[in-house]
Amino acid sequence: MESILERLTEIFREVFENDELVISPQTTAKDIEGWDSLMHVTLIVNVENAFGVRFSSTKVAGLKNVGELVDLIAEGTRS
Amino acid sequence: MKGELIDNLMAYVHTRHPRSARGVEEARAVYPERFNAIANMFLGWLQKARGERGIENSVDAFVQFTTDVNLAQARYEASGRYQHKSFAEVYADHYSQKEAMDDYLWGIFLTNFLWAHHTEISLLYRDRFLSKLPTAAELVEIAPGHGGWGVWALTVLSQARLKGFDISPSAIEIARSICRAAGAGDRAVYLEQNALNLTMLSPASADAVICSFLVEHLEQPSQLFAVISHLLKPKGYAFVTGALTAAQVDHIYEFRYESELVKICEDHGLRVLETLSANPRRTLPKARFLPRSMALIVQKRINDLF
Repeated sequence: MESILERLTEIFREVFENDELVISPQTTAKDIEGWDSLMHVTLIVNVENAFGVRFSSTKVAGLKNVGELVDLIAEGTRS
Repeated sequence: MKGELIDNLMAYVHTRHPRSARGVEEARAVYPERFNAIANMFLGWLQKARGERGIENSVDAFVQFTTDVNLAQARYEASGRYQHKSFAEVYADHYSQKEAMDDYLWGIFLTNFLWAHHTEISLLYRDRFLSKLPTAAELVEIAPGHGGWGVWALTVLSQARLKGFDISPSAIEIARSICRAAGAGDRAVYLEQNALNLTMLSPASADAVICSFLVEHLEQPSQLFAVISHLLKPKGYAFVTGALTAAQVDHIYEFRYESELVKICEDHGLRVLETLSANPRRTLPKARFLPRSMALIVQKRINDLF
């Protein structure tokens, strides 16, 4: 899980163009400036490409925080 | 009481769907007073049709629908093509799934004002299309979906009557519920029917035709315009909307230029009176495609040139 969070931090920094960005499992859209519905999809597509997974839009819409995204990636990379 | 509906919706979006708050606030900011008027009208019908939690459930559906659209657009950016090419594929994957269709339709219902560029189209519909129609107009709505557009016409035109035809049983059910909620249930009939079969109806029988966001769901869009032309009385009006380079899981026909829709209208004896090509305020980063929603107000010619 830690390695997923580390890789995810790199992706977040790239997508939100902020090299100082720190994320944790509890981080939500309210904590990151610019994390709106469009940037969410941009983030997801970058995550899909980086981890070689593909998510359903229902899962994507329902994500509440970074921790749920980490779980989703772990689930996708296991199968 | 009514003023609270849109405020309650906004509060719910901010609390439960903070990622969607920016886009929704943008929609409200474009024309605040007119936005509130349209939003409260739609939300009033919605609350009557779906009950106390209807607005919240529909906001959830709207967020899911918007995510579907944004994700489809991102995949379209990568592949350069829409996901599906045939109606049969889309029917099997989407239209035949009742629960998903219900959410899909309620989600779309809210896009009429929660997407800023669709608020612009709603205003064109009200101010430039409905204002042209006689009070006792005979209306046909092709593929009404949630039914909101046709019901809106019935509330403005006090003696108008409407026949709506949709291939989806979910759509028929929802359109009827919205129409009853708006107090116009006795002036509308909704029937399950493929829009492309409507040439079996009497020709030149409609004062106006309404057809919202169907054309991009068809394999051969020109067939739809043949139907519209068949149904309209000479000099009758139609309001047609369509999507251009705007992916959605059930979009099949990829329009790239506004002129394509204008040309199809002209090829079917329809004079294009007004058009509006509206796009979202923001797009995906580094987007190649600008998703647009186009509205056309057209009039049936009485001969080839007039």
